[in-house]
Amino acid sequence: MSVMSGRRSVVAAGALALLVTGCSSTEEPEVEQVATTFEDPTGDARERCGLLVPTALEQLEQDAGAACEDAIGDLPLEGGDVARVEVWGGDAQVRLDGDTVFLTKTSTGWRVAAALCSPRPEGPYDCGVEGS
Amino acid sequence: MTARSRGFLRDNSLSLVFGGLFLVTLVGQALAGLADYNADQVAQGLATVSLGEFVTSSTFGVDVMENWQSEYLQFFLFIYLTVWLIQVGSTESKPVGDEGKEGDKQQKVGRYADRNSPAWAKVGGWRTALYSRSLGTLMGSLFLLTWAASSIAGWAAYNSRQLADREDPVSWAGYLGEADFWNRSFQNWQSEFLAVGSMAVFSVYLRHRGSPESKAVGESHATTGSSG
Repeated sequence: MSVMSGRRSVVAAGALALLVTGCSSTEEPEVEQVATTFEDPTGDARERCGLLVPTALEQLEQDAGAACEDAIGDLPLEGGDVARVEVWGGDAQVRLDGDTVFLTKTSTGWRVAAALCSPRPEGPYDCGVEGS
Repeated sequence: MTARSRGFLRDNSLSLVFGGLFLVTLVGQALAGLADYNADQVAQGLATVSLGEFVTSSTFGVDVMENWQSEYLQFFLFIYLTVWLIQVGSTESKPVGDEGKEGDKQQKVGRYADRNSPAWAKVGGWRTALYSRSLGTLMGSLFLLTWAASSIAGWAAYNSRQLADREDPVSWAGYLGEADFWNRSFQNWQSEFLAVGSMAVFSVYLRHRGSPESKAVGESHATTGSSG
């Protein structure tokens, strides 16, 4: 392979990487805001519940045996400062000091798909709030 | 031999038809892929995406790039290996005894170049050396470029699925060690090698009248490197 064509390959691959990561970074502020609002224990219960995807909302209410607005205050959603945000396509993960939240992009914006998530040695996170 | 031009369309009909087929099928892939993707999104209660969003997504990108890289790998290897390797009786092979890079006279380079030879075939030195490998070099470069693009788009698509499955995303280097990357690479490579190998062997015994990919119908099975 010639030096020039090799450089062009690297530049083009770098441009693609920039496109992939650049598109993700523009979504990060909204993702972070949704996660921190949902995890804020002093926030408005109705607003927090409105940030859940329908399946997670339904599961939460089924598990609690009560409306989300009445039950969300009892959940140990500790939130805290944002440690890391990952956005890949229509899915995202926000690591907070006290929790890990997974989000998905819907027609109305980013919504919480799973929260109260703890990592397991193998396999997916174990989440206390999650759609079935 | 340089034939007299019979008009741009007829002179370039092979390239134009394949170029057209490429564009039509790429659009077809985008439309079918969009419909499939949005059907999955609806089934999961998620937002559908527009055509513009889909064709710039990692999902579409990896599907396109993983196919392109294998095509360029196929041609890169075919060009390089047929310098040295032969298949007796195949139209895809040089005749027995011609293995190797061949002499300057046979290749019409340097002082053996004729009036119509490309300029860089005549000048000698690094330019003739580079031009002598330009086709294989371009194919090899395009393979590396599209393989790298495939790895980046595949990495993004993989991490999206990881998050949807409530798992941590991985680094690009980590993705290169994942089965997903190698499964995508190998499944495309094996099909290319099958196609090339099949063509090399089938052309020994089978004919297609009028095609330069075939020997003349009445040519012997033992004749190597001729076309009809």
